[in-house]
Amino acid sequence: MSISINSSDTKINIDPVGKSVPRIDGRGIVTGQTKYVFDVSFPNMLVGKMIRSEHPHARILSIDTSKAEKLPGVRAVITAKDTHNIKYGSNEYFFPHTVDQMAIESEKVRYIGDEIGAVAAIDEETALEALKLIDVKYEVLPSVTDVLEAMKPGAPQIHEAMNNIGVILPVNFGNPERAFKESFHVREDKFYASAAAMAALEPHVCIGQWETFTNKITLWSSSQAPFKCRESLAKTMKMDLNDVRVIKLAVGGGFGGKLEMLPMDFAACLLSKKAGGLPVKICYNREEEFSFSRRKHGMHYTIKSGVTKDGVLTAITGEVIADGGAYCSYGPTVMAAAIMRIFMVYKIQHFRISGYRIYTNTPISGAMRGFGGVQSGFAIESHMDLLAKDLGLDPIEFRLRNITTPNMITVNKMHLTTNGLKECIEKASEAAEWKKKRSNPKYFKQGVWKRGVGIGIAADVMGSKMYKSHESAGAIVKIEEDGSVYLFTGAADTGQGSNTALSQIAAQALGVKYERIKCKSGDTEITPFDTGSFASRVTFISGNAALRAGKDAKMQILEVVAEEHKINISELDIVAEKVILTKDNTTLMTFDAALNLCYSFNYGKQIIGRGSYNPKTTPIDFRTGEGNVSGSYGFEAQIAEVEVNVETGEVKILKMWDAHDIGKAINPQSVEAQIEGSLAMGIGYTFYEDLQFRNGRVVNPNFANYRLPRSIGIPEMESIMVETNDPEGPFGAKGMGEASLLPTSAAIANAIEDAIGIRIKELPITAKKIIKAIKEKEISEEKRV
Amino acid sequence: MHKVNLTINNKNFPINLNGNETLMEVLRNQLGLTGTKTACEESECGTCTVQINGKAVLACITMACDLEGDNILTIEGVADEDQLHPVQQAYLDYGAVQCGFCIPGMIMSTKALLEKNPAPSQEEIEYALDGNICRCAGYPKIFDAVKKAGQVMQKGWQKVNETENISREKLSSINQGLTYEEYVKISAVANPEAQK
Repeated sequence: MSISINSSDTKINIDPVGKSVPRIDGRGIVTGQTKYVFDVSFPNMLVGKMIRSEHPHARILSIDTSKAEKLPGVRAVITAKDTHNIKYGSNEYFFPHTVDQMAIESEKVRYIGDEIGAVAAIDEETALEALKLIDVKYEVLPSVTDVLEAMKPGAPQIHEAMNNIGVILPVNFGNPERAFKESFHVREDKFYASAAAMAALEPHVCIGQWETFTNKITLWSSSQAPFKCRESLAKTMKMDLNDVRVIKLAVGGGFGGKLEMLPMDFAACLLSKKAGGLPVKICYNREEEFSFSRRKHGMHYTIKSGVTKDGVLTAITGEVIADGGAYCSYGPTVMAAAIMRIFMVYKIQHFRISGYRIYTNTPISGAMRGFGGVQSGFAIESHMDLLAKDLGLDPIEFRLRNITTPNMITVNKMHLTTNGLKECIEKASEAAEWKKKRSNPKYFKQGVWKRGVGIGIAADVMGSKMYKSHESAGAIVKIEEDGSVYLFTGAADTGQGSNTALSQIAAQALGVKYERIKCKSGDTEITPFDTGSFASRVTFISGNAALRAGKDAKMQILEVVAEEHKINISELDIVAEKVILTKDNTTLMTFDAALNLCYSFNYGKQIIGRGSYNPKTTPIDFRTGEGNVSGSYGFEAQIAEVEVNVETGEVKILKMWDAHDIGKAINPQSVEAQIEGSLAMGIGYTFYEDLQFRNGRVVNPNFANYRLPRSIGIPEMESIMVETNDPEGPFGAKGMGEASLLPTSAAIANAIEDAIGIRIKELPITAKKIIKAIKEKEISEEKRV
Repeated sequence: MHKVNLTINNKNFPINLNGNETLMEVLRNQLGLTGTKTACEESECGTCTVQINGKAVLACITMACDLEGDNILTIEGVADEDQLHPVQQAYLDYGAVQCGFCIPGMIMSTKALLEKNPAPSQEEIEYALDGNICRCAGYPKIFDAVKKAGQVMQKGWQKVNETENISREKLSSINQGLTYEEYVKISAVANPEAQK
């Protein structure tokens, strides 16, 4: 789909939904004026640093901070004795037993970097000097850093959990054993998807201030979920929610890493209290960011499927073992997503996959973009290609025989309403000229460079009730006397452009141009509640709140117009900056004139629209996996064309196609940007992003050794938007921030197999692994001869 | 502690240095010019890119004390009052901005490239921007923006060559792709009185 560029001359966007209007914060960003928490400083601000464990597993015997406290320039030192020792977690509502982390650990450390205290000083040098003066006595305990070792009986116990299993998630339907017996063919595969880093460019950074006499905490934090952060902070500080204010400014990327309160957020506030209320800033450097924030779970994924002679899936079983690191974080929902996403994609009646999330003495695994779906996407979509191959079926044909359809209820009671999966597959396959290229021995197979194409498909939720019983979003539309409109949303724009999309939705609902809107987001004291930016939920859920607030404001204006003109309100509407009579679409007055009326001598009525939305879902029963988790579902198909050098193992991606059921594109340019960003992130994860550990320590905590996608190596990409106009979505829109990332690794792995007949089952796919596999294949073929 | 005069965005800044400060530290911590970001402080991410005498330079590994007499340009000095530079406008128009943290550095690298080569090939763009990481990975949109900005800047140049009696206002809107020396040269043609 080609997008018409909104030239800078076009300043007016009436009916903004569906148009690529410029980013609402764009001029600030391109001129460097937009402020991130990273850029903010206050007079007399102190610099905070965390005191961290040097051991992967140890008991704390004593901490002597007296020397550090005496160092000139040090203003505060805190340890666990200054705290209430309250544990916090991320999945409190469904998994209360996974609430296992203390902001400042008091008795035991469980990974290298575990926080046991913090210091604040007048500058960074002094703070670092103070850290050296902290004397901690440990009793070092045996540690375990490998996930499979940690599960064995007799492995060191990291928490109270048996065999270090922090989360167990059995998902179970029908009778797979019987179905396997009746199947024409059954195969099992084992995959491994590596740990990765979110690596947002703006590191974790916060400024905490505790006004000691009014007992009020303000935290500026680079956060994806300010309200969640407030909740954890209030809980651990034993404060009321409205005694804690969390403010998010522009956020320099999150990708899941900024969904939780980190101990640094807690420490900045407590240090401020101890320092008499001076603001304290804590900012991670890149090494801390890689080593001590959050990471993607490394996952071992075993999957076994049965099929009929016609290529219809009969049953799936399997096991997922995930390296959870030292604490649970968002582990339970990551496991749920890793296992249960398959129900949105494939029709399956007999199913049993059990998930085990294992504690190890390594940095904490959390929620990275895709929530476990990237790892499972690699396993499942690679496995499906192998099944198709066994049956001699084209991978697309095999998928078309098994995919979900519109208006169906899955075996675990998910209600798939609009479903553009089939259309996505067809459109992607057409654009990529699949039939011409796939398994065609005449298609660029000469020489050392061999070409191939591969497909991967996926589906995603838009929202998930993870840490509360509800998942509501709120919005307020406030209209000033001069006609300017303020949208207040609790949603946290972390760079995806949600403030822009929500403003477009509110403007359209109100019937005015986009340029009237100013947007204020993510300030827990000013904006309405919102659970945060995760699970591709913002456009769908926060968008529905913005839609309702815009409509509410419109009705308030129309009430005044109706009263003044003695017309029934149902005969009026506001469209494209005009109040119209709905019976013949004639203009009664301009929007500005209607607003003048509202703020006139007689009426003096302030226009403050409100909107709240909570998706209609049913709670998931985590003993079985049953429940309708999302108000709607998004779908997508992706094709990669690669060229593989059989002598060097080098892989070039020639082009990628991505067809995505996004319901309706509120801002096509932003949708494309999300798709392209996902593809590039997926390419990075497939080939080189791999967070490595030795004895529990991250060994590649910098951009030189942990490679990210850069401009060289980004292939041509084509995004195809499939608009299914979901009746539940705002103007038909669905969420789409994550789905494009889910099948990328598998699409590439499948294309590599099409090119050279080699199957790589372990990420990242390196040249070394490809060469090794080619040699092994040659040897086994020689043996056969 | 010694005094250094730095020329940043065509303004003079007398500042006191210990001698071990990087340009990035001076910009962000001493002068409050926080438009220049950093994501690694070890020359790996390109986020802190500024222009020194027209060249793209990493502020995190450039010592500030060496820069007396040099012409330092940061993202704050790229736009002409409220008129965005063609590179900035193109980034905005083509949706190249996501979280925006890499964008100041990306724009500085782009500007340095286009001032030397306003019609770069795809390969030349990729090579010039390879030092700038965008984790949102908005590279395809960035490539589009770079190409468009180059065209706009090139058109500006041609117009300048064609027309000698160009008005001062018009000049200021098209001059932004020029180096400072070229700008002065053309200004002299356009508005001889102002130079006296």
